[in-house]
Amino acid sequence: MFLSASLAILVTMVLALIRALRGPTVYDRVLAVNMFGTKTALLLSVVAFLYGRPDFLDLALAYALINFVGVLAVLEFFQKQSAKPEAGEAQDVDRH
Amino acid sequence: MVILFGLFLLTLLVLTAVAIVRTPNLFVAVMLMAIFSLLMAANFFILDAADVALTEAAVGAGVTTVIFLSALALTADRERVTKTGTYFAMGVVSVTVVVLIYATFDKPVLGDPNAPVHQHVAPWYLEQTPELIDIPNVVTAVLGSFRGYDTLGEVFVVLVACIGVQFILGASPPPQAPRGQDEQGLRHHLVPQVVGRLLFPFIILFGLYVQFHGEYGPGGGFQAGAIIATGLILHALLEGESAALKAIPPNTLLAMVAGGALLYTLVGVLGIVLGGNFLDYSVLHSNPVTGQQIGILMIEAGVGITVCGALLSIFHAFAVRD
Repeated sequence: MFLSASLAILVTMVLALIRALRGPTVYDRVLAVNMFGTKTALLLSVVAFLYGRPDFLDLALAYALINFVGVLAVLEFFQKQSAKPEAGEAQDVDRH
Repeated sequence: MVILFGLFLLTLLVLTAVAIVRTPNLFVAVMLMAIFSLLMAANFFILDAADVALTEAAVGAGVTTVIFLSALALTADRERVTKTGTYFAMGVVSVTVVVLIYATFDKPVLGDPNAPVHQHVAPWYLEQTPELIDIPNVVTAVLGSFRGYDTLGEVFVVLVACIGVQFILGASPPPQAPRGQDEQGLRHHLVPQVVGRLLFPFIILFGLYVQFHGEYGPGGGFQAGAIIATGLILHALLEGESAALKAIPPNTLLAMVAGGALLYTLVGVLGIVLGGNFLDYSVLHSNPVTGQQIGILMIEAGVGITVCGALLSIFHAFAVRD
């Protein structure tokens, strides 16, 4: 059961990674990174039970607590960029 | 199964790395670096290296993204593409890859009990830890006591790195221009504010747990310092730079960086004074095993204080400038 759950999480990680790699806008990427962090926390907790070492749940806890800070930093980054005179540069949509 | 997970995650890791190198947009590169770090931590975890995975989680998930973004705010967000010398670089990289792949043919199979790394000092550590130090987490025993010199060196590397960043970024103090909205941090955004204030005490609590529980589970000073620093960076992001600097002044941060390293060294010197060797904790208590445990707790505290102070002062060195 844990094995199939972890495989399913791996598949969703791939989907999030595809969104992060393809974009096209920065917001897609930010969301994808956030989702990837959530999936990593889930993967770690499922694999901890799969290995029979539930005390390793600490790691998933660390991610669950800290992952939020990175997204906040992104928010603040965009706020600062839009406050600067050359506003709009940061909102630049990246297509390639 | 480990092989399967490992191969899968490593493939994703390579894909992410290639994408990081190829993208000209540095903001995208920072976002992909966050994913790279998450994948790396998952990989460490799959290979059963919980302490390393926790370090990667603590540093990679929060602090590096924040510091990269602060650096990005000071520079341009696009890479200047250079066309010259790419074939030479490509040649060097290709040769290195071929040599590295050739070298892996001599590598023992993953998990092979006869591999040299499992035959050298590792069995001795595993045997002697319950007897000499009596703590369940052998990694902490190795880092704190058996290889205490190495860890002391690492703490001084952190100290020197922090001094270096301070020299480069703090060389000319930035002009104190009147500042507008950005001084407020994210104070006027309700959702981050509420959620962040809710999370802050738990992050600090979890950091303290990792600090003092490192002898029993994954964790220790490095991880705890990074987690607590992340919590304080969250506070700085929410309340604005000046409020954070008022809460913990820069001089206090520098005192933390130097004080942690000093505490570690003093524990070592105390060993000499009490009649043992440098960093020999057995003499700290009448019972040598208890002495070892006290010594490890104290040096872990020193490591945690230094790492926390260093990460925070590097963050502020960036944040004050933009």
